[in-house]
Amino acid sequence: MRELTFRVQRYLPGRDKKPYIQELVVPLREGMTVLDGLIYIKENIDNTLSYRSSCRMGICGSCGMFINKFPRLACHTPVEELGTDKIEVKSMPNFPIIRDLVADLEPLFEKHKFLRPYIVSSQMEEAERPSSQLLQSREALESYAQFSYCVKCGLCMSACPTVATDPLFLGPQALGQAYRYCADTRDTGAKERFKEADSRHGVWLCHLAGACSEACPKGVDPALAIQLLRRATVFDILRLSKAKEPAPVAHPPTESKPKIAVPEITVKKP
Amino acid sequence: MRESHLKILQYVTAIGLFFIVGTHLIIMLLSSDEPTTWESVSERATSGGWLAFYILLLIFGLYHGIHGLRTIILELPIPKPPAKVIDGTLVTIGIAIFGYAVYIPISAF
Repeated sequence: MRELTFRVQRYLPGRDKKPYIQELVVPLREGMTVLDGLIYIKENIDNTLSYRSSCRMGICGSCGMFINKFPRLACHTPVEELGTDKIEVKSMPNFPIIRDLVADLEPLFEKHKFLRPYIVSSQMEEAERPSSQLLQSREALESYAQFSYCVKCGLCMSACPTVATDPLFLGPQALGQAYRYCADTRDTGAKERFKEADSRHGVWLCHLAGACSEACPKGVDPALAIQLLRRATVFDILRLSKAKEPAPVAHPPTESKPKIAVPEITVKKP
Repeated sequence: MRESHLKILQYVTAIGLFFIVGTHLIIMLLSSDEPTTWESVSERATSGGWLAFYILLLIFGLYHGIHGLRTIILELPIPKPPAKVIDGTLVTIGIAIFGYAVYIPISAF
């Protein structure tokens, strides 16, 4: 049976002075992902190995790691795709290490929250007690749809060379999400986001390396979002931006369909 | 001043420099008469239009260069003084260069 050598980063703050590499041999199975390998190690070789994972299907964004010198989701990376029998797995760069392969994503979420990643509505009454849905054209939806696929895995931040040199840089994830909400016709909080993103560590610090877009496992293009956010900010300052038409509230339905009757209980009651 | 204002000025001066430096180079390299002779230089220095042209070149070049230098300094991953100190130092240097560079042609005007 073919075997893989996993070179896994180990680190326990307080005990270890610095991270070190542990080599572990794992039998290859068909369709195996890097996460499958780590699960095998934890269950069969060393149960002290720490990593973060949840959905195992590239949806939750928990298992972001630095695999063979590139930030990837461990569950979304088949070992065959790496083209080698030596697999090096480290914690994501640009984030502090909590333990072994577990990165501390607190900076990511702090920056994300700072730029208000939610719909800010000027109609508080309608926002809190919606009378009906807000209508949005297909074009309006397409202007931000790809950016809404972000799973907050942090791979873009760990790939970004600017985050590496300036840890205070808001980064592709937060700025990408800021644009996602600025472009949404249901949102009226763009001006506040422009001000917050327009800092020394904000939107202008991006060097357009494009590493974030290359690393994103969901096909989001944060580098594009940053450029669009820059343009929107400049247009806002020069008062060249077109007034965004707010998404209209749909008329409440005048008639409702009859409810489907609940089928009778077919199981005999005891 | 917000970062965007500084960046907009950077782009404006870049576009301005494209035309001003272009004009300057055309005069210096393609002019049929000798533009660097004492007579030619003093003739341009006594012209109000040319004086304004070169002061504009100085303003645009200084802003563009000093803002570029500021961007590089602020991004260097080395221990450095607070941004306000760097900004203040660069503005002082810029004003000093501008004053010195403008004093000579204006005093000769």
